[in-house]
Amino acid sequence: MATTIPSIACLGVIGRNNNPLHITIFPSYDPKTNTASTPVRTPLQFSLLLSSSLDVFDLRLRTTAGASVSGDLGLLHAIDERLAVYGFETNTGTRFVVIVDMRGRRADARVASGKGGAAAAVVGLREGEMKPVFKAMQTAYVKLLQNPFYDPDEHSPPTGVGGKRITSRLFAEDMRRIGETWIPGVTSL
Amino acid sequence: MDDFPRASLDHNIPLLVTLGIPSDESPYNNAALEPTLKDQATLVRSDEPPLESDQARALLGYILDRDASDLPWNGLQDALSRYKFRVRTAARTLLLPPRRARLPEGIEPPQPPAVLHSPFSPLSPTSPLYPDGLIDTRWLRKHQELVPSVLLSFYSLTFDPTQATLRDNKIKSDINNLKNALIQSGYKTRLAVVVLGDHKRSSVDGVQERLENLRKGCSIDPKSFFFVPPQETQDALERIVENTLATIYTHATEYYRDLGRHARKKRSRGVAPQPTIPPTSGTSRSLSLQDWNVRYDFKSAIFAEYRQEMDAAFRSFEQAYENLLNSEVVELIPSWSPRWNEARLLADIIAIRSLRCLLWNGQTTAAVRRWQLHRDRIADLVDSRGSGTNNYGWEAWEARWATVMANLLERVKLPDLAPGTLALYAQPEKAAMGDRLRPWDLLHHPGYWYHIAAKHLYLRRSFALAIPEDDRRPPGSSPASKVASKAFSYDTYMCPEPHEEYPLPGFKGIRHSQLIIDCLMKARSEFQKRQQLRMAAELSLESGREFTAVQDWQNVVLLLEPLWRDMSFRTEGWLDIAEDLSWRLRNAAFQVGRADLVLTIDWELLDRSFTKRRNWHYDISKSLEGIDLESKPTVKIHDGNVLSFLSTSFVFKTEEGKAGQTAQAQLSVTSNAHEGSAPIIVNRLQVDFAGSIRTLILEHKGDAASSSQRKHRDVTFSEVALEEKTTQNTDENRPPTADGHQTATYLYGDVDLTLSPGRTLVFAMDIPLREPGEANAASTRFSLNHDTFDLEYVARFQESTIPDDWYVSASSKKLMSRSNAHSIHILPRPPKMEIKQLAVPDEFYTSESIELRFEIDNAEDENATTKLDVILRGEELSPCTLQLEGHDESHPAEAGDEESVVQGVSLGTIERGKSTVITLRVEPYAISTQFELTLQATYHLESDTATSIIQTAIFQVNVVNPFEANYDLLPRLHPDPWPSLFVYEGQDGDDAAVKIPKGISQAWCLVTRYASFAAAGLLVKDVDVSIRAPPSVRCFATKKHDLPEGGREVRPKTIEEAAFDLVAQKMSLDDRGAASLDVSFIIKWTRLSDMASPVNTTVLPVPRLNTFGIEPRVLGSISYVKDLVVLEITIENASNHFLTFGLTMEPSEEFAFSGSKQTTLHLLPVSRRSVTYRMLPLVRGEWVKPALVVRDKYFQKVLRVIPTEGMKLDKDGFLVWVPPEDDDDDAEE
Repeated sequence: MATTIPSIACLGVIGRNNNPLHITIFPSYDPKTNTASTPVRTPLQFSLLLSSSLDVFDLRLRTTAGASVSGDLGLLHAIDERLAVYGFETNTGTRFVVIVDMRGRRADARVASGKGGAAAAVVGLREGEMKPVFKAMQTAYVKLLQNPFYDPDEHSPPTGVGGKRITSRLFAEDMRRIGETWIPGVTSL
Repeated sequence: MDDFPRASLDHNIPLLVTLGIPSDESPYNNAALEPTLKDQATLVRSDEPPLESDQARALLGYILDRDASDLPWNGLQDALSRYKFRVRTAARTLLLPPRRARLPEGIEPPQPPAVLHSPFSPLSPTSPLYPDGLIDTRWLRKHQELVPSVLLSFYSLTFDPTQATLRDNKIKSDINNLKNALIQSGYKTRLAVVVLGDHKRSSVDGVQERLENLRKGCSIDPKSFFFVPPQETQDALERIVENTLATIYTHATEYYRDLGRHARKKRSRGVAPQPTIPPTSGTSRSLSLQDWNVRYDFKSAIFAEYRQEMDAAFRSFEQAYENLLNSEVVELIPSWSPRWNEARLLADIIAIRSLRCLLWNGQTTAAVRRWQLHRDRIADLVDSRGSGTNNYGWEAWEARWATVMANLLERVKLPDLAPGTLALYAQPEKAAMGDRLRPWDLLHHPGYWYHIAAKHLYLRRSFALAIPEDDRRPPGSSPASKVASKAFSYDTYMCPEPHEEYPLPGFKGIRHSQLIIDCLMKARSEFQKRQQLRMAAELSLESGREFTAVQDWQNVVLLLEPLWRDMSFRTEGWLDIAEDLSWRLRNAAFQVGRADLVLTIDWELLDRSFTKRRNWHYDISKSLEGIDLESKPTVKIHDGNVLSFLSTSFVFKTEEGKAGQTAQAQLSVTSNAHEGSAPIIVNRLQVDFAGSIRTLILEHKGDAASSSQRKHRDVTFSEVALEEKTTQNTDENRPPTADGHQTATYLYGDVDLTLSPGRTLVFAMDIPLREPGEANAASTRFSLNHDTFDLEYVARFQESTIPDDWYVSASSKKLMSRSNAHSIHILPRPPKMEIKQLAVPDEFYTSESIELRFEIDNAEDENATTKLDVILRGEELSPCTLQLEGHDESHPAEAGDEESVVQGVSLGTIERGKSTVITLRVEPYAISTQFELTLQATYHLESDTATSIIQTAIFQVNVVNPFEANYDLLPRLHPDPWPSLFVYEGQDGDDAAVKIPKGISQAWCLVTRYASFAAAGLLVKDVDVSIRAPPSVRCFATKKHDLPEGGREVRPKTIEEAAFDLVAQKMSLDDRGAASLDVSFIIKWTRLSDMASPVNTTVLPVPRLNTFGIEPRVLGSISYVKDLVVLEITIENASNHFLTFGLTMEPSEEFAFSGSKQTTLHLLPVSRRSVTYRMLPLVRGEWVKPALVVRDKYFQKVLRVIPTEGMKLDKDGFLVWVPPEDDDDDAEE
C-alpha cells in the first residue's frame, strides 16, 4: 500500500444566499487501480457535503460571533477519516469550502517533484495549512469581481434567494490549478 | 455496544451488598451464579430478623440513590463524590461462588491429588475456557455481580433493658457467623456493620458501652463499625451515611488493591500454571506464559478500574492488548477455532475499555487515534490470519466499531461535545496539540460516528448481496461438505452465517436496510440536536433511499415529504440534490397513490434546470397513469413552493395611464420545460390584479386567434381583443370578487394556450383602466383541466429590479428601462370638457371695457352637470362680472386684494356635444397691466355622480395703453388789456353768485402730439383737454382744430397733433403768485374694427403747466401789413416793482426797419407796454433774425424774447417768418 498524502478533493464557492456558485471536483488516488482517476465521491455527494458545510458556517456564526476576523474558519468538520471540510468566509458573505481527501494522493509522486515540505509520511495537517488555498481562491474571486461583465448581484441577488452560477472559464481554470497544485506545506499558490 | 456480552464493557465499580434491610430495589441476584456452581456455593446467612423500621428504609433508600452504576463515564464525577458503589441489597442471605471447582464427574482423581482451581479459570476442566481460553465475561460478572467488596450488615440495637444483653449477644453471634462464612468462602470480602439505634430514651453512655462490647465481641475494626443514632433528621442521616460510605469505600479500594496485587504477583511468578487435568480433547493445547500474562494484565486492569484508577487501568489494558495481539498469543490461535473469535472479542473489549479510560481523562484525540489503531491492528490481523477484510463480516465489524465509538460518546457525555454547546468536535487535548493533526483526530460528535457506521453497513450489504446462492442455503438443506467449506470462508465474528446474512427468499435473516436506517436515524437525531439541519436532511435522503430499497413507500413519503416541501436545497440552488430528492419522492408517492405529490413533482421536474432523465415521458398528462384514484384530484401548486418551468411576466408599456382609457400591456409566458417534453395545454389563464383593474381571463381555444398570431423562432406574438363579460358568480372555480358581489366582471380573451417547451407566448392587449390609483398584476393562475386531474398553478409577480422585455413584435423586443413594469400608476380620468376662448383681440387697451367670451364644450360621452369657477389674479384688479349666455343674471366677482373670484356658478347640465358660452366683463383699466384668468369647470357625469372631474384653463390677459402723447406749452399774447392797478376791485358785490375774475390774463397754446401704440388701427373720435386750475385762476381751453366728421383714423405708430388755446385769468389782481394748471388730454376713440362699440375715453395726464410767473416776460408778436412785418415787443411786468428795460435793435441786411433803434421802457408794477417795429424785409420766404436785445437796466440782464405765432426761436434769438410775396394774403389770414 503506497503511502498517501492529503489532496484537495473538491473546491466549492458558495454565495451569500447559500447558493452554489462554483464546484470543482478533483480525482483522488485509488489504491486499487494505483491511479488518480476517479473522485472519491459522486458529484451529488459532493453537493451534499458542500451544502452541509453551510450548517457549520451558520453554527460558527452563532457560537463565535465575529471571532474570526480573517474569515478563515479552519476545520469545519471531518466527515470521516478521509474527508475533512475547511471553510472561509469573505466579508461579503461568500464562502469558500475546501474538501480535503486525507488520502487523496500518492506520496511518492510528489516526493519526486521535491516541491514543498511535504514529507512522504504526512499524516495530518497543520493549523494554517489551508490558508494559501483560501488566499488563492480569494485572489481568483477578486479577479472575477473585477471583471465588469460579472455582476455579483446576479449571482447572489439581494432578495436573498438563489442566484446564478459562475460561468467564467478563467475562474474555473484558477480553481482547477489551485486544487491540483496544493500539497501540504505549500506556502503560496 | 449492546452486541457485546453482558458485563463485558460495564464500568467496574466496587460492589456493595447490604444485608439486613429488605428491599425490592436492586436485589442481589443469585441467578447470576450458574446452576452448576450453585450447589458448591457458600451461603452467607444472617439469622437476625430483617430491619423494617422507617429509619432503616430511609437509610437504605439513600444508599441506593447513591448507586453509581449509571453515572456518565467521565472523570468529572470523581470530584462530586468521595465514593462510588454499585449497591445490591440482600435481605438475609447471599451466595458466593465457590473458590475451587470440582473435578468433573467421571474423571479419576489423579495422583497426587490434583490442584483445584477456580471454576472461572481455564485450568478447571469444568470451565468453558478449559483448556486454552484466555478469559471470559463470567470472571467479570463474578466480581461485578457476585462477590462484593464490602458486605454491609445492618442491625438494630434494642433499648429494652431486659432484652438488651440477649439481643446484643444474638447480634454478636450473627456477626461472627457472617465472618466465618466469609472466611470459609475464601473471599476477602470486608464486613462492615451498621447498628441502628432503636429508641431515643436511652442514655448515651450505656449505648456506647454496648456498642463497644458488640464490636469487641466480634473483633471488628472500628472503621467498619458504625452506629446510627435514632431520630436523626434526614440531613443528619444523610451526613452519617455519606461518612459511612466514604469510610467503607476505602475498605473496598483496599479489597480491590489486594486482588490486583495478587494478580500481579501471579504474573511475576513467570510460570504458566498447569491445568488441574491435562487437556485431552481438541488441540490439547494449554495456555502459554504469554497467554497467562494477558489474563493477568487484564485482571489487574479491571481491578484498577474498580479502584477508579483509570491511568493505571489504561496502562494495564494496553499491556494486555499488546500481549494479546502479540505474535505469540493471537497468532498461535488457529483461525477456525472458536478461540480465535474469543480472542478478537477480548481484543475489542480491551480496546473499548482503553478508549473509555482515555475519554475518562478527556484525552479525546488520543481516543480517536486509539480507535483507529485498533481498527488497523485488527484489519492487519484479519488480513493475515483470518478471512480478510473484503467480506461482509469485516464490514459488519467496522460498522460495529464505529457504533461502539458513538455509544461510548453517548455514555461518556463529554461536556465539550454536549449538544447545547453546538460544538461539532472536541478540541484536541494539550498533549496532542503540537503535531500535525488529522482532521478526524478531533473527536466528532456521535452523529458522525453513526454516519460512518451506516456507510460500512452499506458495504456490508453489498458484500452480502454478492454471496453465492449455494452458500445461502440454510444448514441442513445443503450437503455436509458444503457446510464445512462455508464454515471457514466466511468471517462470522459477531455476525450471522451467510444463510442469515442474505437469506434465500422465504427465509428469515438480516434486514440490512433496517440496520442502515436505524443507524442513519440515530445519526440524524444527533445532527438535529446540533442544528445541522442540512446534514440531517442529507441523512433523511439516505434513509429515504433505504426505504425505497425495501419498498416501504409510506415511510419514504413520510420522511421525504416535509423535506421536499420546505427544502432549502431548491431555494438555495442545490438543484442536483433537489432533483435526487424529487425523483425519490415521486417514486414513492406514485406507489402510495399520492396524486398531488406526483403531479407537483412532475410539474417541477419539467424545468430545464434539472437534468433530463432518459426514457421519461415528460408529459404531465401521463403522470397519473397507473395510479388508482377514487376521485379526480385537484392540485394547486404555488410558485415558490416549487421551481417552475413557466416564467411569466406582465408588462405595462407605460408607467402611467389614465382612468377611462386603456393601457397597452403584454403578458408573456415562457416555458422552460425540457426539450422534447409534451406541450402543455393550459385551459385557462387568469391574471389577478391588485388595484382597480379587472381580472383578466384568457381561455384556450385551439383554433382561435390564429389569424392574429405572428411567429418568429420561439416567440409567438398575438394580439388579444378583450371583451368585458359579467358573469353570475355561481361557478365555484371562479374566485369571489373582493366586494363579495355575486356578479363579477372579467376581461375575456380567446387565445391559443399551447405551451411548447422553449417557446414564449406573448399576448398583447389593451387593458381598460377604471379608477385612479396604483395597480399591478398580482398573480397568474394557470388552470389545466385534464381528464384525470385538475391542476392549478399560481405564480406571483415579484417586485424585481431586473428589467422586463417588451415585445415590439414577434421578432424584436426591447428592455423596459423601468423596474417593476408589472405595475402602473393610473391617473385620474382626464376631463373631456373643453374651455375655449372665443374671438379674442390681440390685446386689450386701457380705458376699454374688456369683454371675454368663453365656450364650454362638453366633449364627454354623457351629459355633464357643470359648475364654473373664475379666478382673476393680478395687481389692482378691476371689478368684473360673469354672465351666462341666455341668462340675464350676472355674477359679480368677489374682489380680493390680488385675486377676484367668481365661485360656483352653476352652468346647469350641458348635454353631450353641446356647449355653453359665458362672458366675462372686466371694467376698464386705467393703466396698463396684465392679469391671469383661470377658469375651472367642475363637473360630474350622469353615470357617475360621485366622481367629480375638473377641467381647468388658464388665460393671460394683457392690458396696454393705446396712446402716448407729448406736449408743448407755447406762450401767446393775450389780446385784452391788463386791468388797472388803480381800479378797486372789491366793489362789485361779494354776493354775486359768480365771481368775475379781475386779475391779469395770459394766453397759451398747448400743442399735443399723440401716437397710437396699439397693434390695431383705432378711430379717434374726439380729442379734448380738461383743465383743473387752482381756485385763484380761471382758465378756458379752446380747440384750435376740428377733427373730421366721424373721427380720424389712427394707424399704429403714427403721430397726430392737436393744439388748444388756453386763456387763464387770475381772479384777483392782488394775486401775484405763480399758478400751475393740471391738464389732462382726453382722447375718445373706438376700435377701427368695431366702430359700433361704445366710445372709449383715454385720459392722458399732461405734465403740470406753470403760468403766471413773477418774472417779467418779453413777448414778441408779428403781424403783416402788406409788405411790412410789424413786430411788436410786449413786456409784461407782473411784479410789484418798477422796472426799467433797455431795447436795442441792430440793423440787419435782411430787412430795414422803422422804430427806435435804442430806447428805454419804464414799466409800472402790474403793467405791460409794447414797442412796435415795422420791418421791411429785403428777402422773401425766409426766416429773418432781428437782432433785438431787451436788457433789464437794473439787473443788467438780457431778457429772452419769447416768440408767439409766426415766430420761432433758435439759440441766438428769435426768428421771424417773412412769407413769400405770393403767399402774403394767405399768411395774413
